[in-house]
Amino acid sequence: MARRRGIGHLDADCFYVSAERVRDRFLVGKAVGVLGNQGACVIAKSYEMKAAGVRTGQPIWEARRLCPWGVYLKRDFRWYEVLSRRMLEVTRRWSAKVEYYSIDEFFFEVEWNDAETTVDDPATWAREWGRRLRDAIWEEVGVPVTVGIAPSRTLAKLLSDTAKPFGVAAAFAEAELEKVLARTAITEVSGIAGRRARRLAPWGVETCWDFVQLNRATVRRLLTCRGEALWWELRGQPVEPLQPRRPPHRAISRGGSLGAGGDDSAYLHGWLVRNLERLIEELEFHEVRAGRLTLWLGFRDGRWGQRTHVPIAPTDRFDWLLEGTAPLLEAILKAHPRGWANRMHLIAEELEPRGVVQLGLFDPPQVRARAETIADLKRRVNQRHGRFALRSGATLALGRELYHDPAHQYDICDVRGKFCF
Amino acid sequence: MCRAVALAADEVSAQTWARWSNWLAARRHDRGGEAEYRFDAWDRCPKLPILRDGHLTLARWGNLRGQSRHLPRTAWTWLRTVEQGSWRHLDPLEVVIPATLAFERGVWYRVRQGIRGLLVPDERGWAVCYMICQPSSHYYYVMTRSAHMPVLIGETI
Repeated sequence: MARRRGIGHLDADCFYVSAERVRDRFLVGKAVGVLGNQGACVIAKSYEMKAAGVRTGQPIWEARRLCPWGVYLKRDFRWYEVLSRRMLEVTRRWSAKVEYYSIDEFFFEVEWNDAETTVDDPATWAREWGRRLRDAIWEEVGVPVTVGIAPSRTLAKLLSDTAKPFGVAAAFAEAELEKVLARTAITEVSGIAGRRARRLAPWGVETCWDFVQLNRATVRRLLTCRGEALWWELRGQPVEPLQPRRPPHRAISRGGSLGAGGDDSAYLHGWLVRNLERLIEELEFHEVRAGRLTLWLGFRDGRWGQRTHVPIAPTDRFDWLLEGTAPLLEAILKAHPRGWANRMHLIAEELEPRGVVQLGLFDPPQVRARAETIADLKRRVNQRHGRFALRSGATLALGRELYHDPAHQYDICDVRGKFCF
Repeated sequence: MCRAVALAADEVSAQTWARWSNWLAARRHDRGGEAEYRFDAWDRCPKLPILRDGHLTLARWGNLRGQSRHLPRTAWTWLRTVEQGSWRHLDPLEVVIPATLAFERGVWYRVRQGIRGLLVPDERGWAVCYMICQPSSHYYYVMTRSAHMPVLIGETI
């Protein structure tokens, strides 16, 4: 009996809003917008708010004009992760191979025997299968999702996009796929936007169907191997494998907006320390050490500065990394006098596994032992009493608010194991 | 300052409705197919829902129109002044303002439990409620552009 395979794509419908509705039934049926880290932009909106013309990423002062009856909420990524993991758990019961693509999107393998389907029409079987998965998530988690099933992941994603909200779509036959490709703009494909679409325009490529009609060599010349992979995928040939485990990181970064921002060096140093503590937490989790550390600082007037520090040996030690990055901050601030900083990123690269690094010649054993004892104490206290319960005194310069509100202590990048936001 | 609050209609008991039906009926609105009552500080006759002895009732919202000559001519009070005891001479009572939503500068936001309020009597013995406020958090300030935020119970924005 032949085993057949398809790829499924599961996408939660307006996930953050749906997650809020799971714990607050009052919000059901209302125009709801979830605001981002600073409270300035709508990062997710309900279909009711979308109908009023509000777009994702729109500032609240525009959104409230378009949808004055809308209800706005502060994001809570910790809660969204709880529901995301529950959805993942249910999906894993249905499929042996699931890729945790993002907090609200998974790819998974669908397998069936010819005996389970009418051979000519696996799509009917797949639609029924997808419907049962969708309903299981709805019943167990309370989040509405849309499922698309097709021969490749790119097609599966296109299908689920067309079936939203709370829909199921499956297509395997060429004629069915052709219809989907012909009605979908090429810019809808993740990976083809802006510059790539402009390169395709002279060739008359507007829809996905126009794209797959191009010659393979032409696609490769225009869009390199990445474009060719999409071309194969859209033709129903899966070339991008599912990855049930995330491959090791090549770089880890922490940072983002500084809120109101500032130009005071003690305040910015506080942010540097906060981001460094978050970065070290992540390095420890992945059991790697940083061989190179870059500090990026953005200013309100659009300027930005960047400096890199290379420690004498890869490290995840707070004292070493702070000693290396504090001068970077000073140097950037000196190069941008009177700059009002509002964004900061700390990027660790050249990551090496722990335990195989050369000890530094200028690192006396007693200093190393003290640093390791403090790091261990900090880790144990925070494990027991909560994240950032014990932290560097330098972060006091950030004020009480940041640490007083638990919602500020968990960000989308803290949701581990996924491929993208 | 938080200008208005809304309370879902299904949170208003039959007893409360019977007592305040005329006032409430004029302030009934629909949001997403569900009825709610809106309480606006700029109303001609502003009132706030309050929980007193476990019962929902309505009290006059502040003294913006100067109905009382003794009470401060505002609808809000600072948490700091409450804590400093500046209201002590009026024998105030701290109450919960039950609300499902609050409104500030064009933004309706969700209130999970309620808002802290201060109930004081005017010279005629009528109960007057002031909403307790504090300086805005950065998040609240960006969201509403208001420098003051109500003191929410059990949550921070």
